[in-house]
Amino acid sequence: MSENKPKQENLPRIGFYVCHCGSNISSMVDVAAVQKYAAGLPGVVVSRDYKYMCSDPGQEMIAKDIKEHKLERLVVSACSPNLHEETFRKAAARGGLNPFYFQMVNIREHVAWVHTDKKAATEKAMQLVSAAIARVAFHQALDKKRVPVDPNVMVVGGGIAGIHAALTLANAGKKVTLVEREATIGGHMALFDKTFPTLDCAACILTPKMSAVKAHPNITLWTYSEVEKVEGYVGNYKVTVKRKPRYVKEDLCVGCMECIDACVFKEAKFADKFNQGLGKRKPVYIDFPQATPKVVLIDKDTCLHFKTGKCKQSCATACDRKAFDFNQKEETKELQVGAIVLATGFKAFDPARSPQYGYGRYPGVYTALEIERLVNASGPTSGEITLRDGKHPKAVGIIHCVGSRDAKTNKWCSRVCCMYSLKLAHLIKEHSGAEVYNFYIDMRAPGKAYEEFYDKLLGEGVHFIRGRVDEVTDWAMTPDEEGKLVLRVEDTLAGFVRRIPVDMVVLSTGLEPQADAQEVRRRFNIGCGTEGFFQERHPKLAPVNTFTDGIYIAGACQAPRDIPDTVAQAGAAAAEALALIDAGFVELEPNTSHVIEDECCGCKSCVPLCPYSAITFDEVKKKAVINEVLCKGCGVCAAACPSGSIVQNLFDDDEIFSEIRGILK
Amino acid sequence: MPLEQKVKYEGDCDPEFAKWVVGEIGGENLRHCIQCGICSAACPLSLYMDYTPRRIINLAREGFRKEVLSSFTIWLCSSCYACRVECPKEIHITDIMYLLKRRAIEEGVYPRSFPIPVLAREFGRMIFMFGRVNETLLVTDLFLRTNWFKFLGMIGLGLNLMRTGRMSFLPDTIKRRGELRKVLEALDAEEKKEKKEALS
Repeated sequence: MSENKPKQENLPRIGFYVCHCGSNISSMVDVAAVQKYAAGLPGVVVSRDYKYMCSDPGQEMIAKDIKEHKLERLVVSACSPNLHEETFRKAAARGGLNPFYFQMVNIREHVAWVHTDKKAATEKAMQLVSAAIARVAFHQALDKKRVPVDPNVMVVGGGIAGIHAALTLANAGKKVTLVEREATIGGHMALFDKTFPTLDCAACILTPKMSAVKAHPNITLWTYSEVEKVEGYVGNYKVTVKRKPRYVKEDLCVGCMECIDACVFKEAKFADKFNQGLGKRKPVYIDFPQATPKVVLIDKDTCLHFKTGKCKQSCATACDRKAFDFNQKEETKELQVGAIVLATGFKAFDPARSPQYGYGRYPGVYTALEIERLVNASGPTSGEITLRDGKHPKAVGIIHCVGSRDAKTNKWCSRVCCMYSLKLAHLIKEHSGAEVYNFYIDMRAPGKAYEEFYDKLLGEGVHFIRGRVDEVTDWAMTPDEEGKLVLRVEDTLAGFVRRIPVDMVVLSTGLEPQADAQEVRRRFNIGCGTEGFFQERHPKLAPVNTFTDGIYIAGACQAPRDIPDTVAQAGAAAAEALALIDAGFVELEPNTSHVIEDECCGCKSCVPLCPYSAITFDEVKKKAVINEVLCKGCGVCAAACPSGSIVQNLFDDDEIFSEIRGILK
Repeated sequence: MPLEQKVKYEGDCDPEFAKWVVGEIGGENLRHCIQCGICSAACPLSLYMDYTPRRIINLAREGFRKEVLSSFTIWLCSSCYACRVECPKEIHITDIMYLLKRRAIEEGVYPRSFPIPVLAREFGRMIFMFGRVNETLLVTDLFLRTNWFKFLGMIGLGLNLMRTGRMSFLPDTIKRRGELRKVLEALDAEEKKEKKEALS
C-alpha cells in the first residue's frame, strides 16, 4: 500500500473543480476557500470554481482543461453522483480522458444541505475533497461491459394496469407473459359498476381490453398463478411461476357453465368472494360472466369430492369436452424475460380495524366495494339497493376517509375515495331515491372534470357534511332515531354537532399495500416506502422505474391512484420497458469484482456470500470465478476473501486506503 | 351561564324548507355552494351577524328553518350585493336573503324588537295603504314598535325636520289608490295560488 503510493514527482496531473450550484452549495460552503485549498494539494495542476459545473460551459471548461493542461485525473466537487456522475464522466471522455479517471465529491447533499455552521461545513468539504484527490491518483482506466437484453417481458398483475401494460408491449411486437393471482384478470376495476367522473360503465370499457389480452397472439395469459422466484439481472431475468390447479383443463373448457348447473349442490350456498360475500356460489364456479379466461374452476375447500371423496362428480359428467381433471397438480414454470412490469395493485382497508363504525356488528354497514357490487347490474341484487334484510334504505350515510388520514390506521390520503364516494352517492340516489349524506373532511377532486362532477352532485341535492363521523350507533335518543343507525358528527360548516339517522352506512375504505407487498418486493429486489407501497426510483422524474434496473412499477402498487392515472402509468412503464429492450443491450457499471487467480487459495468462502449468485467455483482449477455480468459491485466477496485475492474495480485497497488517509490529513 | 343542549337532531331539520328555497327565484344555485366563505369575507356587515352568510346558506340547504329565519343575519343584509359579485358559484345570496326575510315575516319568527324587520313590514303596509311612504308616520311607527323610549329623545330632531319642510305629517298619497291595491292583491293571490299548486 504505502510502497505503492505514487511519489510526489510521479503523481498524475489532477484537475479539480468545485461547483457553487447557484447558491445551494456556496451559501453554506466557502467555495473559494475550497478551491484555494485544493490548489495546494499534491498533484493538482488546475483548481477552479464555477457557478454551475453541470452547465454546458462548465463541462466545456473541463474538456478544454484536460487538453490544454494535459490532465490525467479529474475530481469534481458538486452534488450527488446519482445526479451528475454520468455528466462529468462524459465531459472527461470528451476531453480524451477515460471516464473512470474521475471521482465525484458530494458537497451538496452531504455537506451544504445538512449543516448550519459554514466554517465547519467548509472544513468538512475540504476533507472530502482531500480524500477524493488522494484516491483518484490510483484510479484505473475501465470500460463498461455490454450485455444483450432478452426481448420478452413479464407483467405481474392482471388489473387494469397490468392489462394496459401487457397490451401496449404486445402491440409493440414483444412477447408478453401476464401473470395473475386470481382466476380471472380484471382486478378491482372488474368489481365496479360505473367509473367517475364520466359515469361510463366499468365493464363496458374493461372487458374489451380483457378479451384483447386473451386474443392477442403476443400475450401468454397465466391466471391463478404466482411468481415464486426471480433470478438474474437487467435484461436477463429468470422467473419461476407457480400455476395453481383449477381442476379444469384451461385449453378444453369453453365456459359453457353446464357443469355449474349440474353440480350436486342444487343451490349456491357458499360465500361468493367476487361479490364481496354478498352473493352465493357453488364449489364449481366462474367469477363473473365476462371472466377472462372464461374457464370455470373448483374451490377445493367446498367441493364435496375433495372434502369427502364421495361425490358422483356430476359436473365432470355434464362436461361435453371432458375438461375436468380432479388429479391436476400445481405446476412450476420458468420464464426468461428482459424486463418485468409489476402491477400488483392494492388492498382495500379492512374496516374491522375502525370498530367505531360498526362494520360486522350492524348489518346496515357496508364497505364501498360491497356497494359497488350492490349497484352493479350484474351484481347479487342486479343493481337493486337492498339492505341485508331485504328492505330498501330511505337514508344512506357515506363516511369518507375510513382507514385514511388517521394516525391510528393509515396516515395517507387514499386519493380516490372522495371521487368514488361521489359516484356511489349518485348511483345510490339514482337507484333508490334515498337521501344521501356524505361525511367528508376535505373534498378532494383534483382531476380532469372531477370538480365539475362534485358540482353536479351538489346540484343533485346530496348532503355534504364536513366532519369526521365519530361513531355509528343504534342507540336512539329521539323517536325518529328508533331502528336506525345514527351517525354522530360535528358539522364543522354549520358549527354544531349533529346526529343523523340512516338505514345504510357506506364506509369509503382507503387503499393499502397488498398484504404480501413486503414479500413481493423482496422477491423482485425492489424497495418500498414506510407505508409499504413500492418505491419508485424518483418521485418526480422516474415514477415508474425502481432501484432495480429492468423492473418497472405501475398502478396502485406504487401509491393509491385512480384508473386514468393508473393507465397512464402502465403506458409509461411499458414505454420504459420498450426503451430498455429496443436498445438491445445494457451497459454495466465496471465497479465489479474479479479474482486474481494466482492468489486464490480455493477456500470457497466467497461463494455462499454473494447475494447475486455471481460466484461459482471452478472445480478443475480449484479457483473461484466471478461472473462480472451478475456482479452488482457490493464488495462483500472482496471484504471476505482471506487471501485478499478478490479485487473490486474502483474500490481496490490503494484507492480505499489513500481515500482514508486523505480524509484524516 | 346556564348550559344549553346544542346538538341538532335530524328532527330539527325541515327538508321542505331547503326545497322551498331552491325552488324560489334566486335560490336555484343554493345547493352548489362549496362553502368557501368569500361571501362572509366580502360582507361589510358580517361582523355584526349571528350567522355569517356562508353559514346561512349551509343551514338553509340542510333545512335548519328555525335557525335561519330567526337569525339577525338576514335583517342585517343591506343588499350591497358584494357577496353576489364575489361568489364563485354565482349564488344569488342577496336574493336568498330577501326570500328568507319574506318567509320570516310570513311565519312571524323574525326578532320582534329588531327595527329592520319591523321597518320592512311597516314599509310594505304603508305602500299598500297610501301608495307612498310617509316618512314621519313610518319613523314614528317604527320607534313606537321597537324602542319608544328612544322616540322621546328624537322628538327635537323630528320637529326641526318638520319646521324646515324635510318631513311632513300631511298624508302623502297617490291618485287611484284602489287600483294599486287591486294590483297588489292580485299579485298576492297569484302567489298563493302558485304555492298551492306547487304543494299539490
